[in-house]
Amino acid sequence: MEIIAVIALWFGLYAIVSLSLNLEYGYAGIPNFGRALAVLIGAISVGGILNRILIFYFGVKGVNIIDASGKVKTLVNGIIANDPLFGLFLLVTSLIIAGVVGALTGALFILPSAKLREDYLAITLLAISEVVFMISNYDVDIIGGYYGVSIPDVLAFYAGEERIYLFSLIVLFILALVYIFLEKITNSPFGRILRAMRENEDVVKAFGKDVMILRIKAAAIGSAIASIAGALYSLYSVNVIASSFARVEWTFYPFLMVLLGGAGNNKGVLAGTLTFVVVKIFLTMYKHELRELLHLPFEAVWLEYMMFGILMYLVLLYKPEGIFKEKPIFTKPLRYVVAKFRSSSESEEI
Amino acid sequence: MSVVEGALVYSNLLAMLSIGLTITYITTSVPNFAQGSFAIFGSYISFTLFRMYSTHPYFSLPFAALGGALLGVAVYLFILRPLIRREASGVILMIATLALDLVLLGFIGAYSEILRAITRKSTTKFIFTPYDFELFGFSGIFFISTLVMCLLLLFLLVLLYRTKFGVALRASMENPSLAEVMGVNVEYTRIFAWTLSGALAAIAGCLLPFRQEIVPATGGILIVSIFAASIVGGISNLSGAIIGAYLIGFSESFITYNLSSIFGTSILLYSRVISLAILVITLVLAPKGLASVRWRKIWKSLLSSLSGSGSTQ
Repeated sequence: MEIIAVIALWFGLYAIVSLSLNLEYGYAGIPNFGRALAVLIGAISVGGILNRILIFYFGVKGVNIIDASGKVKTLVNGIIANDPLFGLFLLVTSLIIAGVVGALTGALFILPSAKLREDYLAITLLAISEVVFMISNYDVDIIGGYYGVSIPDVLAFYAGEERIYLFSLIVLFILALVYIFLEKITNSPFGRILRAMRENEDVVKAFGKDVMILRIKAAAIGSAIASIAGALYSLYSVNVIASSFARVEWTFYPFLMVLLGGAGNNKGVLAGTLTFVVVKIFLTMYKHELRELLHLPFEAVWLEYMMFGILMYLVLLYKPEGIFKEKPIFTKPLRYVVAKFRSSSESEEI
Repeated sequence: MSVVEGALVYSNLLAMLSIGLTITYITTSVPNFAQGSFAIFGSYISFTLFRMYSTHPYFSLPFAALGGALLGVAVYLFILRPLIRREASGVILMIATLALDLVLLGFIGAYSEILRAITRKSTTKFIFTPYDFELFGFSGIFFISTLVMCLLLLFLLVLLYRTKFGVALRASMENPSLAEVMGVNVEYTRIFAWTLSGALAAIAGCLLPFRQEIVPATGGILIVSIFAASIVGGISNLSGAIIGAYLIGFSESFITYNLSSIFGTSILLYSRVISLAILVITLVLAPKGLASVRWRKIWKSLLSSLSGSGSTQ
């Protein structure tokens, strides 16, 4: 039973990130090789910003952020245990901070390369993401470096075995909101101009739209959403360690899920994410059995890297459009034309 | 090792890596995100020879170069060429090299643990500095890396400007479709580029443990500096790659070291922020890199504006 909750939780978290990547890569054509950065920013919003606000508000003294975050966690957990509403308030506040900071960093870091070709864009975004990852991993003053910081449990009133069920429900609820929001904007004029930009930037320019502004908007929205996933993940694991926001987990795997499901198709991305998450969870669960079965003389994580790398290559080679192909957009006038065409062809058949 | 010496060694190695990256980018037009892991592949070849047969890392250079060349050719023939034949877009090719990087990381990680099981010694981290020699007060790696770099430059100059193949190679760098019309086999130039790139990366990887500790994931960190060097110099220009490598190499070690005497040692963590800052500034001011900037024109306009303001006074 617990495995369903684990799958639901990871499906929710990864789906939010890969949907955000789908907006940027699948719709707008921005190869954001720095997706992990936005997720890390979400974690920093909770572990670095919200924690400091709480420490300041409650006047907690500590030698450093690592120490103080541990003390404030005990204090806040006590309050939430008696007053669930404060937990809800903290949850909503974290998500809002993460969204705002994520949007700002997304817009800021695409600025230097927003005018450039896609390979420069990909390289720069990857470089920025790697450098920020490295700094947060080594500098203990941001989110505790490799020691990490503690985070209050927003579900402290519901502690125990069942916590994961409630948390995965929250994550799925946020996922539903994100999905509806993305379906709305990708089926709007804005979503259509993003697709047009992906196909041909010059046409978009000829119609008087600024490609740079469009890219910045898409990156801001995408990063805000991915950052929310980072905040949710940190709130779930009640601590933040920079090393869990590496490029493989939060840039490469989301790309794999998007391409597996079908870039430019939100439903397809959900299917791709579910497939990936189920495979990954079973791999992680049975890694010791797998190691003994195959007589592997090394850790299963290396096998996981090789497997998913090869899977990505096979997808690129044999099915670059993914499981579900991108569908044409049915706007109101188009739907009317199609309906009319269908009815006329039916009447002809009669 | 003094700071300037260390910076020079690092820049030499970075130059080998960025020349490799640039030459594959020019011929195949895909930035190789696995270039860092190519280098670590070379590091592990020399480390294996060192542990199993006690070969000194300097003597394993030819073997590392051979292994790297084979890896480079295999990557082009079996991974990129099938995609190019299917007319994959540039982004798809980039994602393929990203996938390759992950496979290589998994392979190197798995290999390091197999090696540990065989040799029964720690293999997750290694460094060669204790086995280096010293000459006239300088470290051996300083001479060796400079020697390799000089030989490489000589080789490239002779190849590009004194041979027929070099002319064909330069032609297909300038304009691949025109070169193909003129009878140049673009396929050969690509195979050559990937061979050279793999070999150079492996040589750099073989020498890198003399300067820093190596773990299977080192390639992922290295790639930022390699890209910074290539882009700052101009990613479609070979001489730019060399200029960029020395600029980035010196800024990462030499400038950070001097800054640390002002701001304290905590700034050393931020060495790669400096190369990133240089990268961003270059992208904003001269997106095609330093090698594309017409310095003479800027100098002239600067002079004329100076003399212009002088005459009005």
